[in-house]
Amino acid sequence: MSTLANKIKTAPRGALTMEELRDFIENEADLLDEQRFDEWVALYAEDAVYWAPAKPDQTSWLDHVSLFYDDKHTMKTRVQRLKHPMIHCQDPKSNCVRVLSNFKVEWASDDGNEYRVRSKFLMLEDRQGADRRVFGGRYTHTLRRTAAGLEIVLKKVELTNCDQRFPMLTQPF
Amino acid sequence: MSAYNNEHFRNLVQTDRVHRSVYTDPQIFEIEMEKIFGRTWVFVGHESLVPNFGDYYCTTLGRQPIVLSRDEAGKLHVLYNRCGHRGAKVLSKERGNQRVFTCMYHGWGFRPDGKLAGVPMRGDFPEGVLDDPVFGMAPLPRFESYRGFVFACLDPNVMPLKDYLGEAIRGIDEMVDRAPDGEVQFWAGCHRYIYKGNWKLQMDNMADTYHPAACHGSTVGPDGRQFQRRAGAEGGAAPFFAPNGEAIVSQLGVRGFPNGHSSEQSLFDKEQRGGVIEEYRALMVSRFGEERTAEIMKNRRHSLTLFPTTDILIAQTSVRIVKPLAVDLTEVEIWPVRLKGAPEVISTDLVKFVNITHSASSFIQTDDLEAFERCQEGLKTQGADWVLIARGVGAEIDEGNGVLLGPRSSEVGMRAKHNMWRDLMSA
Repeated sequence: MSTLANKIKTAPRGALTMEELRDFIENEADLLDEQRFDEWVALYAEDAVYWAPAKPDQTSWLDHVSLFYDDKHTMKTRVQRLKHPMIHCQDPKSNCVRVLSNFKVEWASDDGNEYRVRSKFLMLEDRQGADRRVFGGRYTHTLRRTAAGLEIVLKKVELTNCDQRFPMLTQPF
Repeated sequence: MSAYNNEHFRNLVQTDRVHRSVYTDPQIFEIEMEKIFGRTWVFVGHESLVPNFGDYYCTTLGRQPIVLSRDEAGKLHVLYNRCGHRGAKVLSKERGNQRVFTCMYHGWGFRPDGKLAGVPMRGDFPEGVLDDPVFGMAPLPRFESYRGFVFACLDPNVMPLKDYLGEAIRGIDEMVDRAPDGEVQFWAGCHRYIYKGNWKLQMDNMADTYHPAACHGSTVGPDGRQFQRRAGAEGGAAPFFAPNGEAIVSQLGVRGFPNGHSSEQSLFDKEQRGGVIEEYRALMVSRFGEERTAEIMKNRRHSLTLFPTTDILIAQTSVRIVKPLAVDLTEVEIWPVRLKGAPEVISTDLVKFVNITHSASSFIQTDDLEAFERCQEGLKTQGADWVLIARGVGAEIDEGNGVLLGPRSSEVGMRAKHNMWRDLMSA
C-alpha cells in the first residue's frame, strides 16, 4: 500500500483536506494504470458499487443497462478473470494511463466521515494490434472513513460517449 | 458479375465446410444486402418501444434507416426514415415522441403513419405532385408482428412470417410465456458492442457449444465453477467441467431448423428456484396451474436464433440483434426484457446479470469478440480456403418437421444457417 493511503489512515480525526482526498483518488487511478487489481479492489467497501452508466443522466442501475455495474463480489470475479491466464482479450495486455483533474468536494458529512468528490478524467488505452482508444468523463467518488482508513462506497464513471457502441471493454475506467 | 453467379454461391457452402470468402469478400457483402436483407423477414424491434401515439423508434434494416411509429389510432407503422422531399433522414434520435415528424432541412412534416402533414409554401409546387404518397415517409413493403416482436421485409412477395419462422417460433413463445401477463417489454435500453469482423461470425457463435472450454476458460474460478450468471439458487456458480474433463456445455446438443434457424440446449437442468422466484412461480401457478407452469419453466434451450440476425436468449431473458455494417464490421445489441406481471425484482435482476454476461464489458462477450476479430484476421490467408463446420455430420437425429438435433456440440445449427445463406444467395 502506498504511503499516501497510510498517511490518510494515520491522519488526526477531523475533516480530511482536499489534498488528502485527491491523493486517495489519484492513488486508485495509479493502481488501475499499474494493473494492481487486488490492491484496487481492496480500496472498496464490502457494500461498494462500481458503476458506469450507459446513458447520460441515468439515475439507477436497476431500470437501465450499464456499461459496468459491479458489486464487491462481482468486482472480485472480474479481477479473478483479469488475472486468469486464459483471458484471451488481454493477450496482449492493455496499457492504460488515467489523467485526473478538476477535483471538487461536492458534499461532506458533518462528522467528516463521508465525502462525495467529483473529478474529471481522460484515459488512454493502447493494446498491440488495436487502435488507440480515448475515454473521458467525470468521476464521482463516495468515500467513507472507517477505523481502518478511507474506503470507496460508490465510484460512478460518467463517460461522455456512454450511450454509444463500444468495442470490448476490459479495463475499468 | 459472372464470378458471382448462382453456381458460384452454391459451391461456397458444402456439406461440412464454408469458403472463407463468405466472411471476407466485400462484393459478397453487397450481394447479401440485396439477396438476404432485401428478401427475408428481419426482426426490427419490439412493439413496447412505441406504446403511445407519436412514439417512434429508429433502427436499421440492412444498412437502411427505418423507423417504427404509432399513429393516432394505435396502429403500428414501419417507415423508411427518409424525407419524401430531398431525402434527409427525418428522425435523428433513437427514440422520442412527436405528433408530427418534422424534417430539419425544409420543414416538411409527416404524421406517424408517414403521410405528408405539412409543406411550407406548398402552393409553389405543381398541382397534384405532392398527392403522390411516395413523397411522404414511405412504408416498408411488409411488416408483421408476432406477440409484440416486429419483423419487416423489403420484398412484398415474401412468405408469411409464421411460415418463415416455422417450428422456431417456439423461441419467442418460450420467452413470452414466462410473463404472467403473456407479454414482454423492452424497457431497460440495450447494450451495444461492435467488433471488426463479419456478422456471420457472431451468428455461427450462437450455435456453437464447442468453444466455451477454450474461449471462456477465464470465467472458471479456482473451484472449477463458472461465475453466477442468473438469479436464484440454480442460477449459476455451476461446475464447468464434467468428470471426464469435457466442458459440460460442450456435451449439450444443438438443433438446426428449416430456413436457417437454430437453438442450443440449456446449460441448466433444474428450474430456477429460491427467494423471489418462489413468489413469481406461485403467481404463475395461480394463473396457469402447476402442470402448465412446470412446462413453461422447463429449461429447454439456452437460446434460439432466427435467421438472419436475431437471437432469443431464453436463459438470459434478453434479445440480441446483429447489425451488419460492413463486410468486416458488425454492431450487436442486447435488450434485456421485462416479464410483464412478474415481481419487479425478477426484471431488475435480469438487467444486472446481463451487464456481466452480454455487455461490451462482460466476462463472456469480450473473449467472443477477441475470437471474432482473430477469425477475420486469420481468414485473410490465401490457400487455406475453407472454414470447417463438420462436427456431428451424419450424427443428426431427425425430429420431424425439418428439425435436426445434433448431440455433443454438433455444428448442425451453423450448417442450417449456411444452407439457408446458400439457398438465398444462389436464387
